[in-house]
Amino acid sequence: MNVTQFFSEHSSEILQATLEHVWLVGATMLLAVAVGVPLGIVVARKPWLSKPILGGANVAETIPSLALLGFLLPIPWLGDRADRLAITALTLYALLPIIRNTAAGITGVDPAVREAARGMGLTPRQILFQVELPLSISTILAGVRVATVLTIGIATIAAAVGAGGLGEFIFRGLAMVNDSLILAGAIPAAILALGADFLLSIMERVLRPAR
Amino acid sequence: MSGAPIPGAIGETIIEFRDVGYRLPDGQALLGSINLSVRRGETLVLLGRSGAGKTTALRLINRLADPSEGEVLVEGRPTRDWDPIALRRHIGYVIQDTGLFPHYTVEQNVSLVPRLAGWPELEIRERVLSLLALVGLDPGIFLKRYPHELSGGQRQRVGVARALAADPPIVLMDEPFGALDPLTRAEIRGEFHALQKRLQKTIVIVTHDTSEALLLGNRIALMEGSGLKGLYTPQEFLQSKEPVAAAYAAQFHALADFERGR
Amino acid sequence: MRLARARVCILALLGGWLALAACNTKRGETIVVGSKNFPEQALLGEILAQRIEARTHLRVERRFYLAGSYICQQALLAGRIDTYVEYTGTALTAILHDPVESDSGDVFKRVKQEYASRFQFEVMPSLGFNNTFAIVIRGEDARRLHIGTLTEAARYSSQWRAAFGYEFMERPDGYPGLARVYGLKFAAPPRILDLGLLYRALLDKQVDLVAGNSTDGLLAARDLVILQDDKHYFPPYEAVPIVREDILDRYPEVRDAIDELAGKISNAEMQKMNYAVAGEGRDTSEVAREFLREKGLD
Repeated sequence: MNVTQFFSEHSSEILQATLEHVWLVGATMLLAVAVGVPLGIVVARKPWLSKPILGGANVAETIPSLALLGFLLPIPWLGDRADRLAITALTLYALLPIIRNTAAGITGVDPAVREAARGMGLTPRQILFQVELPLSISTILAGVRVATVLTIGIATIAAAVGAGGLGEFIFRGLAMVNDSLILAGAIPAAILALGADFLLSIMERVLRPAR
Repeated sequence: MSGAPIPGAIGETIIEFRDVGYRLPDGQALLGSINLSVRRGETLVLLGRSGAGKTTALRLINRLADPSEGEVLVEGRPTRDWDPIALRRHIGYVIQDTGLFPHYTVEQNVSLVPRLAGWPELEIRERVLSLLALVGLDPGIFLKRYPHELSGGQRQRVGVARALAADPPIVLMDEPFGALDPLTRAEIRGEFHALQKRLQKTIVIVTHDTSEALLLGNRIALMEGSGLKGLYTPQEFLQSKEPVAAAYAAQFHALADFERGR
Repeated sequence: MRLARARVCILALLGGWLALAACNTKRGETIVVGSKNFPEQALLGEILAQRIEARTHLRVERRFYLAGSYICQQALLAGRIDTYVEYTGTALTAILHDPVESDSGDVFKRVKQEYASRFQFEVMPSLGFNNTFAIVIRGEDARRLHIGTLTEAARYSSQWRAAFGYEFMERPDGYPGLARVYGLKFAAPPRILDLGLLYRALLDKQVDLVAGNSTDGLLAARDLVILQDDKHYFPPYEAVPIVREDILDRYPEVRDAIDELAGKISNAEMQKMNYAVAGEGRDTSEVAREFLREKGLD
């Protein structure tokens, strides 16, 4: 049976897997932003922390994804549920671009603006939320965009440890030597990645403050 | 208690430097043993070369830095005893690059401090309109503009308006007109001179421009090599025998001669 | 203001993602049958699926060739599949992490009990065969030497060459334990061969003894004999359907459908089906359909 036929006959399963995939990626990105942006702010505030924090994130990034999933598997609470495991590993991967871009965005704020903000009597918190973050949001979003596309890709590997998603089609197709199955996973994954990249790049442009 | 200004008469000391020294973490001294008083209502100019410590001294007043030795008193209290946020809201601050928030409109930039202080919306609106008029910007045109849509001179005017927004008794200005071309600079300088009397504020200006110092300052504090060389009225300055002052004066006269075509 | 726009964008993204995630429920009346990634599992999955289709009004979705027990377990836990066939020994050691036992009744009881209490899964009765390790020799040798058990074979081991798969050599409950329990001493250290080549080497007389699985297709088609594990060294690997309890509660007819499969597949029948698919290249669902028809279960 040719590919289009396969897709139309198995559309509900493919949709199901796509939703699983979206769920994995969405949960990961939420966590990664919640952890990564504050860490990026810390790195911007205290440059001496940039080595340990960025270094740590870099190490996580460098470990091959399948190996990282394998490392985390034996850990008691994590390894019991594949989605916990996958989201943990995926979050570690997503952290580096987010931390790095947040730090770069904040340190890249015009020093004169920061000096004026301090001199006018804004508290550090007000400076962060009213000046630094709004001015960095485009850069931070660029990091989020990279991280999201990365996560969509690596999430396909998470199927190897049972997290479901579109990768499962790919692995099953490989085991059965069935091209249609492989494509049923690969094509939606590619579309997801392209779509997310597109959407986020629009957001990036919309939010970029004028120079 | 921090934050409450002590009302007082014109002429009394409002800012005071007592044996103030400032040293960088690596040991280099930017200021050494400065003693200086600024009287309420006067405009004091800190004149000197780049690196003479003028900006450092200025930043000690609104506690953007703390002295390594001695103390700086504002309204009779050492800056160390002031809550830095309250102190800074008590003082207007204008810098050379203006530091206007690029993501805020002119209106949002100017109204920043009153908004933080919780002024009623209507009062804020009125204040912004009157300030813009004061600095010579048509509110109808400029309220909703963003800084990147303004010329250098217009930005500087907004910067001054912003500093004056919450009506602080003290205004600090660090090379406020330094980034402008000579014509605009002279123009704005003249307008500011006209404003000074109306404002009735204590103003400390850092500059390296002699004509600016002579025009705007009630007194000139000459700084050289991280030390205070002397305190002069403009007249005294021009006639001073002190070598550095004389050098400045000579340069000023030379320019004036040139302008007069001799 | 830009900030307001930013807030709207972020809320829209969040809302979209939550909405999508909430949609993540199966369509109406569907059961998902899973299987691991080798032909016997696909056959068993297909038998389960066809049975449910025949006996109930439910739609069956097949999610076969999942790469292993851990993945199937995770899928079952997450509700991505509703049932698959596991082997009791694997369930005991690989999933429950309990120590190895060799009494099949005990193993079944323990697995059934723990699966219910820990995961809310129901372990259905065995399908009837035990896919355990099989130590295999050529039929002619078995007849000539009159040996049928491993204990009897051990006497001749010093004259034989053996070959095993990599995993069997490495597993503590594989070759090392076997050699110890039966006192096997081969002429030379056993060769390690690819699983697919073991029977070929045996039939070509390059080796005299190999370890395979008791339901391997070739065992039905060639003159090969499984030596009896009379000391019960190998743990039992009875094939049992595992089903989520909530599915059985919601669709009780599924229980009946699967119950009727209990004990219906003998070792020999499984071997025959495996050979049909792996050896003769026949279509899995056809072979499954044929089997069900023969048993009157279609």
